[in-house]
Amino acid sequence: MAIDKIQSESINLADTFAFTGTVTGAGGLNTPYFEAYISANQTLADDTYTKLTFNTETFDSGGMYDHSTNYRFTPTTAGKYLIYFLVNYNKQAVDQFHYCETQIRKNGSGHKAYYNDFYDNYTPYAITTVGESIIDFNGSSDYVEIWGYFGVTSGTGVVSNASRSAFGGYKLIT
Amino acid sequence: MANLSTKIKMYCDANGVSEVDFMKDVMLQDDSDGNGAYIKEWNLDIAQPTDAQLSAQESAANTEEANNQVRATRKAAYGNIGDQLDEIYKDIDSWKARIKSIKDNNPKS
Repeated sequence: MAIDKIQSESINLADTFAFTGTVTGAGGLNTPYFEAYISANQTLADDTYTKLTFNTETFDSGGMYDHSTNYRFTPTTAGKYLIYFLVNYNKQAVDQFHYCETQIRKNGSGHKAYYNDFYDNYTPYAITTVGESIIDFNGSSDYVEIWGYFGVTSGTGVVSNASRSAFGGYKLIT
Repeated sequence: MANLSTKIKMYCDANGVSEVDFMKDVMLQDDSDGNGAYIKEWNLDIAQPTDAQLSAQESAANTEEANNQVRATRKAAYGNIGDQLDEIYKDIDSWKARIKSIKDNNPKS
């Protein structure tokens, strides 16, 4: 028989409780959650904000990440989510890396921007940007995407694939 | 095909604007929907170029990108500035000959 009331003076807080049944109505779940990566190097045109195409899902607990068309996460459960990314910019050449920026965009507008500028030194070959932010979602229309920007002295650069890329998030228990 | 950013730099230079900040003056965007890059915002005082005006810059932009590649190749071949100073101190004529060789082997268009 399930108990429906516990009197505080009946619990010794120093005791250890080893539940074998199911506890419901307590705590919360970090769902929905998702994580995706880029399956093949994505080429970025010089000085152009480009939506990054995280097209392969590692997790997608609620089927709320669009990995084939819009590359965006649109949770249908309202609340606060931790959104994160890992993006590696690779010029694949020396002395041509000028600057790069990764943006978290909510509903198409910039939410957070992570900017690296090497001025006129151009010294990096490749660098990784990592960022995260807590974002409030309305549970219906709100969505997030990751955008990249690569300034190079010549040609194009790439955003690296596989384990050097990630876009993910999960609901916070509040 | 040249980058849209390079064609815009060529267009702006031809119209009296020598520097373009692509995070402020002109913002380019690629929605990754297969349609390529486009001008999202134009905040310069000169008129936004038409597609035809940008196409007219294709040749100059290709030359500029090729020359940028040459500049990068030369820079890498020149080597570290500190090493070059040491090279100059020891034998300036030898250094000049090496630099000339790099330039000759990597000509600009």
